Amino acid sequence: MKHLIYSLNNIWTIVIFLAFVIVGLLLIFPLYNIFVASFLDNETGVFTLQNYTNILGRRYYRTAIYNSVIVGLSSMVGALIIGIPLAFFTSRYNIKGKSLISTLAILALVSPPFIGAYAWIMMLGSNGWLRLGLESMGISMPTIYGPLGIILVFSLKFYPFVFLLTAGAIRTINVSLEEAAESLGCRPFSKFMRVTLPIIFPAVSTGALLAFVLSLADFGTPSIIGRNFRVLSTLAYNLFTSEMGGNPGLASTVSILLILVSLIFVYIQRRLIRKKDYGSDMLRRPEVKQLSRVSSIPVHALCYLIVFLSSLPSLVVIYNSFRKTSGPVFKSGFGLDSYRRIINDVPDAIFNSFVFSISAVLMIVALGTLIGYTVARKPSILTGFLDSLLMIPYIVPGVVLGLGFIVSFNSKPVVLVGTATIIILVIFVRRLPYSVRSSVSILKQISLGVEEAAISLGASPAKTFLKVTLPLMMPGVFAGAMMAFITAINELSSSIILYVGGTVTMPVRIYLSVLDGEFGTAAALSSILLAATGVAVFAIIHITESDEGVFL
Amino acid sequence: MPPFQQHSRMSTVQLNNLNKKYSDVEALKQFSLEIQSGELFTLLGPSGCGKTTLLRTIAGFNRQDSGTINIDGIGIDNLPAFRRDIGMVFQDYAIFPHMSVGDNIAFGLRNRDVSRQEIKSRVADALETVQLSGLEKRMPNELSGGQQQRVGLARAMVIQPKILLMDEPLSNLDAKLRIELREDIRKIQKKLGTTTIYVTHDQEEALVISDRLCIMRSGQMVQVGTPWEIYKKPADHFVASFVGKMNFFPWPFAGLDFHDLKVPTVIEDLPAKTNVGNESEKLIVGIRPEDVFISNSTAKVKSQVIHLKGTIKNISFSGREAQIHVKLIDGNQLVAHITRPGERLLDEIGKTVQLELPHKSIMFFNNKSGLRR
Repeated sequence: MKHLIYSLNNIWTIVIFLAFVIVGLLLIFPLYNIFVASFLDNETGVFTLQNYTNILGRRYYRTAIYNSVIVGLSSMVGALIIGIPLAFFTSRYNIKGKSLISTLAILALVSPPFIGAYAWIMMLGSNGWLRLGLESMGISMPTIYGPLGIILVFSLKFYPFVFLLTAGAIRTINVSLEEAAESLGCRPFSKFMRVTLPIIFPAVSTGALLAFVLSLADFGTPSIIGRNFRVLSTLAYNLFTSEMGGNPGLASTVSILLILVSLIFVYIQRRLIRKKDYGSDMLRRPEVKQLSRVSSIPVHALCYLIVFLSSLPSLVVIYNSFRKTSGPVFKSGFGLDSYRRIINDVPDAIFNSFVFSISAVLMIVALGTLIGYTVARKPSILTGFLDSLLMIPYIVPGVVLGLGFIVSFNSKPVVLVGTATIIILVIFVRRLPYSVRSSVSILKQISLGVEEAAISLGASPAKTFLKVTLPLMMPGVFAGAMMAFITAINELSSSIILYVGGTVTMPVRIYLSVLDGEFGTAAALSSILLAATGVAVFAIIHITESDEGVFL
Repeated sequence: MPPFQQHSRMSTVQLNNLNKKYSDVEALKQFSLEIQSGELFTLLGPSGCGKTTLLRTIAGFNRQDSGTINIDGIGIDNLPAFRRDIGMVFQDYAIFPHMSVGDNIAFGLRNRDVSRQEIKSRVADALETVQLSGLEKRMPNELSGGQQQRVGLARAMVIQPKILLMDEPLSNLDAKLRIELREDIRKIQKKLGTTTIYVTHDQEEALVISDRLCIMRSGQMVQVGTPWEIYKKPADHFVASFVGKMNFFPWPFAGLDFHDLKVPTVIEDLPAKTNVGNESEKLIVGIRPEDVFISNSTAKVKSQVIHLKGTIKNISFSGREAQIHVKLIDGNQLVAHITRPGERLLDEIGKTVQLELPHKSIMFFNNKSGLRR
């Protein structure tokens, strides 16, 4: 018995040790290799600054940096413009169907990112039905291709970050502050700009930062609709996989720059919100106000237009998946042609996607829960450090980590390139933080007193963890697992670099199909992804009763 | 020299038949009141009595269902809060956390067309008035709760509003600060002369700070008067028990053994108004603990005093005073309040004593309506 208790204390040490090994091997080591590679000459392997001078010196490459930042910032502004009003109206006024609105926003957020690009091609591509339809009415629309299209897709894709975070903050602001402004003669709009917005700035800017970082990291969208518009993520990919022989040195340099740009913006945001935590325990929460009849209609219209536009890609994809096709061409009428085709032609992609994601999720849950427990319950310098290391996957784009894996696991003793393992591992390490974070956040809600009570009643620490703590953690663990699953099954940017013929996944297949003009196949595969995603979202909402924060 | 005296505005407030209903709770019922210019008027009542609703309705944060609010005879019912020109001090201070003390105070002035120069001098004056000179550049999180509320006060009065509303401004402060700040609030209010409506549930605070106060219960006014009137002449059982402490016991037409009401205590000796003692009307006697005197059980009887015998059950000592709980023979308990309690006080528990209730201190309340006779 005594031995067991002793060994349990050791278990947490082992967990911490294991976590450091894994993070070190799967995160730090690949990134380190990328970093090193960016300073090496491809041919000779000697130290050089050539790659950096090349990238920064040539206009061709510099444009990509510039484009990435512009697209990121514009998408961020777009997400703010869409997300803030939606958050404000739905949290302050009696908007009908609020939960529908936030569910649609959540679905838009977690749906596969490249679906947006694909669907907008169907609508506003050269032969897009919306564009042609409008043209026949005499309204000429630009095509979706190019920077504006990317910004549109990103804004509609990432606004839910701003929306969910802002709504949470607006709902919990101390309403006395707004009333004070009012009693001091401040008009409603000026009150919002001068008092409400500055106070919720930490939440809003976090949403904005997420929109920026993810726009910067996204590979699928600019790759599908960017055409000749280069951004850093597509540049890194192209440099690496170029048909004229990849240039790992330059690709690594671009990757480092990509991380650097993200880090700069993370740093700026952190600086801006420093000392701006205006949380207060003396809260009077704002009331939900009735809209006047006159303003009710336009406000409802605006809210529903936003979530409709952001759900439109999914609708288009599902609709297209049921259209009759002949080869790659859509015909009139409905049928299951596309589904038949994917089952015949690419069953391996479907199979791989589920196997890879589920394997990764099982590993994520097992380790993530334990790490979460140590971070929340055994605070120390080590666990604190571990916690910050686990922020890295949020900043490192999938393309970059994929490159890192190739560079790191391509030579003896560990040759993983081309295996399923490498894809599972990259998913595992990228999505591990979801499980850790949801475990930590649920543990914050579980009183330490419950565990202490169990121990004081004679339960051993092991028994306490298994019989008391773990069952109480289940909702959080499950929600984290589902979020990990959603992001795992929709993962494109790292697998596009790591896949080989036998390890193709649905997102990769969709990407390739879209490039090949196989829109029916892409639609059917995307619909399967959407269905899997929808089921997971449904499970989170209805089984765990988690709040919307879990989706961020 | 009081900084704002030459600018101060004195306004009267009339509330006419205000009604406000929240789902099924009537927060205000036919509420009418007139507040004189320049007075510090307090709304006092237990939580849920509608006092905060009333204040927020005056401020314009919620709208009454019916009735009107006039300031200086002019209806303000259709003005939104930001155009009412009413200053407000909040329970949770509501200091803008992202602005310095100076910016907080200047906030309202910047919404009005006040020149930069004037803003500067008025902010400085306001800071001086609330004794925070020199803290202009501080951020709110560097201030104590008491200092924050001083900023709240300065911010509300610097705009020289027609009226000033204070919503339990001291309830989040600790006891010592509360006393300090309430005296300052009264001083400043008298200096500026701004008509002020003050909400509190703390009866002692209300008595100390107010020129007049209104006791509210379930959305209705129970009594309006000066602190002295409210304390000494409570309109009914509720006011008497809510403001200050009060002993109540049924008037012993039924029950109490008359032998314990020693001579010369007979009904005819009591104040004339109690003579209405018609048989069917049951009365309740009320007397403040500080009006109950304790004497030796063998002490001489006095005229114009009711004498009751009882046993000391408990004594609670709170420093400058002590509450003596005495159980009467009929089982009722009375509390006597003595100042400067002696050292051997606790030895007295269990002793039989005589309580002396001077006629002039006794109040009578109708058992049914609760009204004072």
